[in-house]
Amino acid sequence: MKRRGRGIACMWYPIGFTVAANPSAAVVKINEDGTATLLTGTVETGQGSLTILAQIVAQELGIATDDVHVVSADTDTTPMDTGAIASRTTYVTGNAARLAAEKAKNILFEVAAPVLGVKPSQLECADHKIQVLGFPQRNMHIGDVADRARGVNGQPPIGSASYNPATVALDAETGQGKPFATYVYATQIAEVDVDDETGEVEVLRIVASHDCGTPINPMLVEGQVEGGISMGVGFALEEEILFDKFGRQMNPNLTNYIMPTSLDMPKIEVDIVDSYDPTGPFGAKGVGEPTCVSTAAAILNAIHDAVGVRIHSLPATAEKVHAALKAKRAQEARQITAGAA
Amino acid sequence: MAAVTLLVNGEQRTAHVAPETTLLRMLRDEFQLTGSKLGCDVGDCGACTVIVDGKSVNSCLMLAVQADGRDVLTIEGLATKEQLHPLQQLFEEKGSLQCGFCGPGVIMSAKALLDENPDPSEHDIRDALAGNLCRCTGYTKMIEAIQAVAQLRQDRPAAKSVA
Amino acid sequence: MDKKPAVIEKEAQKELELLRAPAPAPLVPLPIEVLVPEARQQTPAVRQRATRPDARLHGLGATKYIDDMYLPGMLFCKIKRAGIASARILKVDTSEAEAMPGVVAVITGKDVPCNSFGPSLKDQPVLADERVFHAGDGVAAVAAVTEQIAAEALEKIQVEYEPIEPVLDPLLSLQLETPGIHAPSPNIYGHKVIKKGDVQKAFADSYKVYEGQFRTQMVEHVPLEPHSSLATWDANGRVTIYSTLGRITLGRADISRTIGVPMSRIRIVATIVGGNFGGKNEITTEPVVALLSKKTGRPVKCTFTRPEEFTSSTTRHPLIMDYKTGVTKEGKILGRQIRLVLEGGAYCSWSETTLGKACILSAGPYKIDNLYAEAFVVYTNKTMTGAMRGFGAPQVCFAYESHMDDMAKDLGLDPLEMRLMNALEEGSLSPTSQKLHSVVVKESLLQAAERFGWKNGNGHGHGNGNRQ
Repeated sequence: MKRRGRGIACMWYPIGFTVAANPSAAVVKINEDGTATLLTGTVETGQGSLTILAQIVAQELGIATDDVHVVSADTDTTPMDTGAIASRTTYVTGNAARLAAEKAKNILFEVAAPVLGVKPSQLECADHKIQVLGFPQRNMHIGDVADRARGVNGQPPIGSASYNPATVALDAETGQGKPFATYVYATQIAEVDVDDETGEVEVLRIVASHDCGTPINPMLVEGQVEGGISMGVGFALEEEILFDKFGRQMNPNLTNYIMPTSLDMPKIEVDIVDSYDPTGPFGAKGVGEPTCVSTAAAILNAIHDAVGVRIHSLPATAEKVHAALKAKRAQEARQITAGAA
Repeated sequence: MAAVTLLVNGEQRTAHVAPETTLLRMLRDEFQLTGSKLGCDVGDCGACTVIVDGKSVNSCLMLAVQADGRDVLTIEGLATKEQLHPLQQLFEEKGSLQCGFCGPGVIMSAKALLDENPDPSEHDIRDALAGNLCRCTGYTKMIEAIQAVAQLRQDRPAAKSVA
Repeated sequence: MDKKPAVIEKEAQKELELLRAPAPAPLVPLPIEVLVPEARQQTPAVRQRATRPDARLHGLGATKYIDDMYLPGMLFCKIKRAGIASARILKVDTSEAEAMPGVVAVITGKDVPCNSFGPSLKDQPVLADERVFHAGDGVAAVAAVTEQIAAEALEKIQVEYEPIEPVLDPLLSLQLETPGIHAPSPNIYGHKVIKKGDVQKAFADSYKVYEGQFRTQMVEHVPLEPHSSLATWDANGRVTIYSTLGRITLGRADISRTIGVPMSRIRIVATIVGGNFGGKNEITTEPVVALLSKKTGRPVKCTFTRPEEFTSSTTRHPLIMDYKTGVTKEGKILGRQIRLVLEGGAYCSWSETTLGKACILSAGPYKIDNLYAEAFVVYTNKTMTGAMRGFGAPQVCFAYESHMDDMAKDLGLDPLEMRLMNALEEGSLSPTSQKLHSVVVKESLLQAAERFGWKNGNGHGHGNGNRQ
């Protein structure tokens, strides 16, 4: 018989390396037509980092995402980056990219200011224009300014910057200190059906509420959450590397290492928590790893709710759940007998 | 060496391959059609999915010689110079692909499904993709994109001709 | 298959010629119509659901991953895996493999100028030369004209091992009497403590103290794209390595160190990678292909097989987690004590980071003034554990959230309410006494509960008897 249950799990997760310096450097070059190029040493591993870095640079310069071309991951031509790790790219590389864009922008402001008859601090970028704060009708097209910067002022608009999160080393004895610049928070709630005869668990629905600071690209945040949940479902119910008594893996293949297919995935509903981190680029933090952190806990709590057994080790395979149910029934039978005696 | 002649994306092609060569290796090494990927080489992951005589197939499990005389469609055969295939278009719009490695295989499985069943249920779609492993996306946005393509064809039957 | 040597030679020659032929044009030209989706043209750019330019290429099958790359004259590399969890290497005989037609070069650990690397402890070899510490250790590498020949050549490499009793149980490894796997280094190669307030007093003041032990398993990243790298040298002694590495700056430093070449002579290019999740954050095949390419004078590519992805790249640390928590009758947490034992596999890899994060995060997103968390990482002769999405967080979250529900049930509290009662808030102090900003634990709890319909009793079955 199928029994329904629900489980909740919340979590927190840091952005960047633990205490250790993990800088990122970036270079932004503004072209003579107002489009731009970003040079970054980071690596696109599928998470969409190059897209959101383009969005951050575009935002700083008041141009569109498609106006920014990203060149990445070449030690000859791109500046150093500590890498696509520890959910740091949006925050650390993003900050570096924004600062680099700001420097290039400031060169444009120096060039446009005398033409518009104002001080550089009175200018802003918006909608492909460099315009006067409070008087947007006084403006120049960003391309015209960039061209002028090169051809009249002799100052190509290039900005180079780096960023490293602010941390404080941990005390050797007590572990007290400031290991990370910022953290993200999330909750996932799982709804499951447990077959109380076979122990099989079906995950029906997961509701996920994730903090990532400002979502630079909500579609990509959703993609990360959905993907993270699939890793969490596998971690909770299916995946395990098995070893023989000699220490050799027994299932180094995808036939016997079970990971979630499209049929194993629940209905997923994603909400992004309204939040803003003043230390991140336009308030953003990060999201890559947090997405798979609370899934297994939520599912295991849902199993507990459904059939009243606590599984203490992952994965919660059907065999394990079935054995736990059997033990629970045996214990209940003993209690009844003891009570009757 | 064995001679293999077949249609690949509508064009007749010939290759001379060692008899144990898989269709996947022939496509990738002989014809430089590297869109079909090698993810496991034993038929577990679906990254090598192509369509042979209208049916989706793990090309790593088919010998090149078995494809002799057959009609093979790979990911490279979907788009024209003028347009993307609707699946490619909707996958892009919906953010269905992240690292992209499983993408060609998933799109071919989806195409095979829609060719046979133009109005699939969500379960039909999940079932059709069950042989394509993806580690990045959780499959959610892929299913949304396939549903959108099916819907597009319901709304605009003329769009079917693009397939 | 018994073939005459002349026939094999001729076939290998033919393969070589085919490989030298220029690649024909693609069958279908790529669309030249420039479609720019709406969201990519909007300003302001932040918060747009902008599509990804790489997604266009992915959908066309046009993205070039490393295994799709071909350079003229390129050779294929395969690595021989030890297959034994713990041993001394007595002898490696590569002569039969070297004599095979189509095999151009073979290297072993002895050919690596500096055979050790690692993100913190440099305890990992490029190719094992004196000792094998896990069954997935590489002991030799072959470069041949085809992948098939390279794979067959591995069979011809004879390795003589002197087995050493492997240590497979992390709790056994934790005991000081157990022989050190990496002696003279101890088996406990990392230790961390977080101490705050007075945990014993908190327990004494508690209405009830709960205990629980939780364990997690070893899992693997399973990126759909296997690890891959391709090396090629120019006449000025500069090597270019295309790689799936997720961090190329530090990767270059590791490669410079292991192959003994200054950084200015090394170029690392990472392509669009087919999934990483932490498993591609240290060098694997890069120094091997660089050395084989230098030896043969030809480009060399090495792509992991799927089994190698499991046996010879990093995995997630299994954890054994002991929790003890004291609470008031109302469910407020007064103190928590935690012990974590991380199974650290054959090499250190990213264990130091995982240890630190797991320890810091182990208390959960809760206000706990009295805390004692102690974490150990130990060597075992199993697959090396390293960086994997979350660095210990999914493991400890499973523990602290299961533990929380156990307590809630016993106290007769709604799991949501107990969490809201204890959750971190804006300005709260973390386990390391850091003042936290932009804290939204409660917001995420309430938002998820709202969407789920938690307060309406959604998700509870009928007749479970578990309804709070």
